[in-house]
Amino acid sequence: MNRLGLLSGAIVVASLSLAGIGRADTMSYADAVTALAKDCGADIKKVCKGLNLGNNQIQDCRQKNEAKVSPTCTSTLGQVTASIQQRQAAQTGFFKICAHDAAQYCGGVKGEGNILASVEVETRRQRQMQPGDHRCGMAIDPNLGERSCLFVNCARD
Amino acid sequence: MFVRQLRAGLTLGLLLAAGNASAQELSNQQLIDSLSQISKAAPAIDPALLAQEANANVGKGVANQPNWSQLANLSQLLVEIDFENDSIAIEPKSYRTVGLIADALHHPNLMFYKFLVVGHTSSTGDAKHNLNLSQQRADAITEALATTFAIPRDRLSSVGVGQEMPVDPANPKAADNRRVQLINLGRIK
Repeated sequence: MNRLGLLSGAIVVASLSLAGIGRADTMSYADAVTALAKDCGADIKKVCKGLNLGNNQIQDCRQKNEAKVSPTCTSTLGQVTASIQQRQAAQTGFFKICAHDAAQYCGGVKGEGNILASVEVETRRQRQMQPGDHRCGMAIDPNLGERSCLFVNCARD
Repeated sequence: MFVRQLRAGLTLGLLLAAGNASAQELSNQQLIDSLSQISKAAPAIDPALLAQEANANVGKGVANQPNWSQLANLSQLLVEIDFENDSIAIEPKSYRTVGLIADALHHPNLMFYKFLVVGHTSSTGDAKHNLNLSQQRADAITEALATTFAIPRDRLSSVGVGQEMPVDPANPKAADNRRVQLINLGRIK
């Protein structure tokens, strides 16, 4: 099998680091905090007034004021926090797992990423990963040629 | 967030086509597309010099200052992030906007770039107070990006400019002047 074929066969996308919207295990940051605002917005304004999204302030406030925070908010906050942590772990893991392949196949490539929507669709279609697999997915964008390495996220199923 | 107030001051002053749509939700792709249009001629901007110029020109405006006047040449986006009144607390309804920014900054196309958050106020209230509040609010946004959303701190900087650079100079008190600029400062060295 030539290298290109090998590469495209190995392409896997569980969630592009950004486009994880709609997935059960991780969601985009935007969707995560939208859920937080919807289910906790009123509680935050009432119980955690003046506190901010950064530095765990909302989580700390909820812990200190457990009785005053609605059960819906408590539940959503837990899910959102877990989702964000999971996504960060996945992203960190991706770079670790893919570091070797990136150096080997994409050394010197400019414009890291260049993930295109069409490539995302294509890689999803070609997906051949089994549950539990954690492999590095990488592809060469046919539109941009060999010097455009596309990093896609590692499989997380 | 809605693009009612979204004006994409791209390099060469081009307007983002999508920025003209009314009441359309800002999308991830819009953020990535507009922030990743890097011009080779983009000036190098030092946020510390911006802060100096803002502090030295309270009530006088900064549009003609050497560093502030160059910002328009950088790839950027205007977003609306609402805060509680006279507070640095981001309104929950604006969490999504901060999340969208975080998603964009994690995107591989933007992953190796530094970003500057610039906070603006309208001219309602005291100019010095507005300057300080806008700095603290810009700081609050980068704080959320750096902690909750794990953007490395060396990719982020923030500066407040209070009421000194209105988007609508004819109506400095107008709400449109309260805004946040997200600016691509170029590749991490």
